[in-house]
Amino acid sequence: MKYLPFVVRHIRRDWIRSTSTVLAIALCIFLFCTLQTVIQAVNWGLRSANAARLVTHHAVSMIFNLPLAHEQKIAALPGVRAVAIRTLFGGFYQDPKNFFTNLAVEPEPYLELYPEYILAPDQKRAFLADMRGCVIGPGLARRFGWKLGDAFQMRSIFPQYRVAGPFEFVVRGIYQTDEARYPATNDSLMLFRYDYLYEKTKPYTEAGGQLGAGMFVVGIDDPKRAGVISRQIDDLFENSRAQTKTQTEAAFRASIVSLAGNLALLLNGIGLAVAFTILLVTANTMSMAVRERRTEIAVLKTLGFTSRLVMGLVLTEAGLLGAVGGGLGILLGRGMIRTLPRVPFIGDAIRSLPSIGLSPALGASGLGLALLLAMAAGFVPSLFAYRARITEMLRQV
Amino acid sequence: MSAAIMPLPEPPKGLVDRESAKLVVEIRQVRKVYRRDVERITVLDGIDLQVPPGEFVALMGPSGSGKTTLLNLIAGIDRPTSGEVIVAGTDIGRLSESELARWRSRTVGFIFQFYNLIPVLTARENVELPLLLTALSTKERRERALTALKVVGLADRAGHHPRQLSGGQEQRVAIARAIVADPAVLVADEPTGDLDARSAEEILSLMESLNRDFGKTIVMVTHDPRAAARARVQHHLEKGLLKSGS
Repeated sequence: MKYLPFVVRHIRRDWIRSTSTVLAIALCIFLFCTLQTVIQAVNWGLRSANAARLVTHHAVSMIFNLPLAHEQKIAALPGVRAVAIRTLFGGFYQDPKNFFTNLAVEPEPYLELYPEYILAPDQKRAFLADMRGCVIGPGLARRFGWKLGDAFQMRSIFPQYRVAGPFEFVVRGIYQTDEARYPATNDSLMLFRYDYLYEKTKPYTEAGGQLGAGMFVVGIDDPKRAGVISRQIDDLFENSRAQTKTQTEAAFRASIVSLAGNLALLLNGIGLAVAFTILLVTANTMSMAVRERRTEIAVLKTLGFTSRLVMGLVLTEAGLLGAVGGGLGILLGRGMIRTLPRVPFIGDAIRSLPSIGLSPALGASGLGLALLLAMAAGFVPSLFAYRARITEMLRQV
Repeated sequence: MSAAIMPLPEPPKGLVDRESAKLVVEIRQVRKVYRRDVERITVLDGIDLQVPPGEFVALMGPSGSGKTTLLNLIAGIDRPTSGEVIVAGTDIGRLSESELARWRSRTVGFIFQFYNLIPVLTARENVELPLLLTALSTKERRERALTALKVVGLADRAGHHPRQLSGGQEQRVAIARAIVADPAVLVADEPTGDLDARSAEEILSLMESLNRDFGKTIVMVTHDPRAAARARVQHHLEKGLLKSGS
């Protein structure tokens, strides 16, 4: 501890070099924290999938709707507990920038299939009783300041849902989430009644358009039979005009974020490249700093500082730079993660992920990485200081 | 001086303590050979030297005569190829690198030609550096550093950085740093070599005073006959051999 002021003085000596080293480390940790948080959020989203839920959608593409008649046939299969329509409405509030996930669902079976959306009984009753009613997550309530009873309008990005003009909704429920029981529940979702979508788009269907269902969520009794029932459902519609693809909710989400794996690889790759580059830059900077101080190292050793102590001082200096850089990187990362949901377009994707935030564990990992990076960068210069022979160093003066 | 600066610490473990040692420095048949590629350069060739306590010795000689090498051996920052270097009762050839470092911190005060103060530290902090290796408290370290600065007449410059001091003042701070741990011997390598005549005089007077008033044993390397004249004993080195003593 008594050597700390000595180390700090050296850090302050060439403040431009120290600051740039700190910033380089901070940039690395900032990227690490931000990218890892996004990857973590994507993975959490996959983890929140329920094994007892299957998703059936059009075999060709999810953009094609399925005939409503499929629902009854699926429901009749043994082992199927409940079926609910879920259709992506693609609505936005006031401005396309205010995009969030909004789903037209069959309220009763859907809420039964998704106990993670915890709704007070009176709110549920109000939702079921009002065709224009909707249920929103607390994240949306915060974002737009919506309260129970508030009415608002939304337009969809899909042409078939724009035929009859904007949709009017009334907030009838604000669901709660339980992070302990149902971790990673999306708190920024809006659910409204499918029958409202159906009624409102009648001009479209009457003109020959087919509304159908975006997909069916299928609740099964035994998660172990998910594979068998999935095959049974798909076999059921093998000769139909609208063949299906059924998979577990986890597999479905994974396919939705099919890029997630590649994305993680890409992001990790970028992070690794940045970390390695910064390691080289920092190591070079620290080597220069130590080499410039060769006389001082010789003087310290002449005064009786052991080689190990001198090495320790250089490593402490590196560690301090790493700690400050790491701390700064974490703060920047935290700020960015908080800002991301408000960034146009990117924010929409981010908001669809479960509540995103820099976890303490990730922060600690970031700090650890910063220290590791700084220590690795400081190792060679400190070894130089350790091995330096006094007479040789003094002779070079 | 001893009481004012710092009491002599316990001798380090594992060191050879010669009871008969009445000498602060005893050099016996010391050879130092450097290798440059395949060439072997004999810098010191069987040197014998004895320095009793309280002596002020000047080592003189032309460049390349080996006087700085001899000084480095006495200071324990280099090792002889053969022979014995016994300083303050310790055969330093028997010490490991870390033991030697600890020994230096207790036994030797080094005064460099170019002062070699740490530029980011104030005068007091520079003087305090050797004391960081002791178990003294922060307050004690500060007090002793200030005392050492008083001895060299720079107590009022304690808070100044080296760049704010003249060459002579910097060298005085360096002397304060050398004496702060109350070492058995002060070694000085051309202490006036980088100073103007007036500052050099001041430094030599200070060294004389340290020797005369505080009983410090000093071994000084110098080219300057006027500086050497301030020492009580002069030795001349030539081609690695100690030619004469006066």
